[in-house]
Amino acid sequence: MSSTLLSTQGLVARYGDFQALYGIDFEISEGEVVALIGANGAGKSTLLKSIMGLLRVAPEMVRLDGRPVGGSKPNRMVSDGVAIVPEGRRLFTGMSVVDNLRVAIDHAAVPRGTAWTLDRVFELFPILREKQAVPVQSLSGGQQQMVAIGRALLNQPRLLLCDEISLGLAPKVVKEIYRAIPSISANGTAIILVEQDVGLARSASNRLYCMLEGRVSLTGRSQDISREVIGAAYFGGAHAVA
Amino acid sequence: MTDALAAASTTTFDGPRVRVQRRTTSSIVALILSVVVLVAVASMPLWASQGLIRDIVRLCCYIAIAQMWNMLAGYAGIVSVGQQAFVGVAAYMMFIIAQLWGVDPFVAVVLAMIAPALLAIPTYGLLHRLDGPYFAIGTWVIAEVMRLATSNFGYVNAGAGMSLRVMTGYSATERAVGISLLAALMLLVTVGGSYWLLRSRYGLALIAMRDNPIAAASQGVNVSRLRFLIWVAAAVGTGLAGAIYFMAQLRITPPSAYDPNWANIAIFIVMVGGLGSLEGVIIGALIYFFADRWFGQYGATYLVVLGLLTLFMALFARGGIWGLICKVVDAPWFPTRRTLVEERQ
Repeated sequence: MSSTLLSTQGLVARYGDFQALYGIDFEISEGEVVALIGANGAGKSTLLKSIMGLLRVAPEMVRLDGRPVGGSKPNRMVSDGVAIVPEGRRLFTGMSVVDNLRVAIDHAAVPRGTAWTLDRVFELFPILREKQAVPVQSLSGGQQQMVAIGRALLNQPRLLLCDEISLGLAPKVVKEIYRAIPSISANGTAIILVEQDVGLARSASNRLYCMLEGRVSLTGRSQDISREVIGAAYFGGAHAVA
Repeated sequence: MTDALAAASTTTFDGPRVRVQRRTTSSIVALILSVVVLVAVASMPLWASQGLIRDIVRLCCYIAIAQMWNMLAGYAGIVSVGQQAFVGVAAYMMFIIAQLWGVDPFVAVVLAMIAPALLAIPTYGLLHRLDGPYFAIGTWVIAEVMRLATSNFGYVNAGAGMSLRVMTGYSATERAVGISLLAALMLLVTVGGSYWLLRSRYGLALIAMRDNPIAAASQGVNVSRLRFLIWVAAAVGTGLAGAIYFMAQLRITPPSAYDPNWANIAIFIVMVGGLGSLEGVIIGALIYFFADRWFGQYGATYLVVLGLLTLFMALFARGGIWGLICKVVDAPWFPTRRTLVEERQ
């Protein structure tokens, strides 16, 4: 396996007085796809927000290329090569598809490997080429998700954070979107997939982390872990008794 | 208008050749009209009476202050109800430089812009951690502090205020020429400057920030820096309007300089005209100006009607009058939107 791209050590995050993460140790290597699964409120999105700088954490808790970057502003993280597909897509609703993508182009990192261009994004999601001049709010949910992914890719990330990209979409559309994952990681881009669908997460990733109540309850190679073990880690077998 | 993307798009698209167009027929008409209006404002002494000049200068000040508030609330997502702090501090600085330090008043207007900029920087440092309504209250507090401090500051004659006696060195015609040129310059800087900014490389980032600040930040837009820059720029633009307004008045007192009504007027104009659009500000300013002239005599009743109108627009027509117009006809005066046009080969 190639070198570690991003890691967290004892990551602690809180929303005011409420502590959401209790010492998360996480790492991802270049070009790797890592899934992050867990029930609602387990802290998956919080972990992504802490990595992205949308939530303040101590500097040494998040390391990119070994450098402490915890608590950097999101725009610094983008120029260091981290991009996010936010939960709920968060597109710029006043704008056309192309203008949404242009915001990312204007603020992109220096590309490593093959750069993402509008044309490559349109190859990945051909429907967007047809819809490029259309205001984003008139697209379907799946198409909006494609814009959100394309927008993140045009930031030229080395690490792509995907927050529940299958949420609220039809199974057929989910399949279509997940088909794009291998071509993204073929570019050398590492991907963190936050996913509620355990089966989908397992098949799309190399490794997975299962989170439970702000802690990592299980980690390992996706293919080696059985559904039963995941089930116990997901719902917290020991907790259920207590 | 074709721009950088046009070159990029011809190389990146395999599909039909496209170019980016932003100019529309209505925008060309509006551009010509804007130039005509600017020339008309600058040449007021040639065609307008003293009274009309004073009214038009006042209208220009409303447009400038409202446009600055529009940049804050409509694009940066900052709601300030204390813009009168910058009106007052800039106007007082102008009076100090001109009356007490003996600098030419027309030069003093420009020099005085240092005051709102200097006030904006530390106040943002204090306020930027506050959210929404707390930020708004904070701006109001700062404006009140400035009013009280000025009222007790003997150097500027405290609560009694100052008169711009140095203006007697100029004839009435010379004053009219100077004020008219300054008013035209102010429109150019505030409205023209905003339009230029929105069409520049920062324009998309600003509009993205208006639509969804968190997503904009996640996409690499430096939201906090843009907010700070707009806060300072809006302070200077608001200050410029204040300095020009009180230069035309020739007299300043703390209650008039730091009148909360400045912020009220800006909010009314932008909410009724249309938040987040340049056209709305001009429509709103004209409505306020004429409403004030025709119905101002009804006093409290008139203010109640203005307030109800603002409330009504905020609840039922968020885009203001310009938003309603846009639903019927698509003819922007100041288009910032890009349209892809397929070229015939």
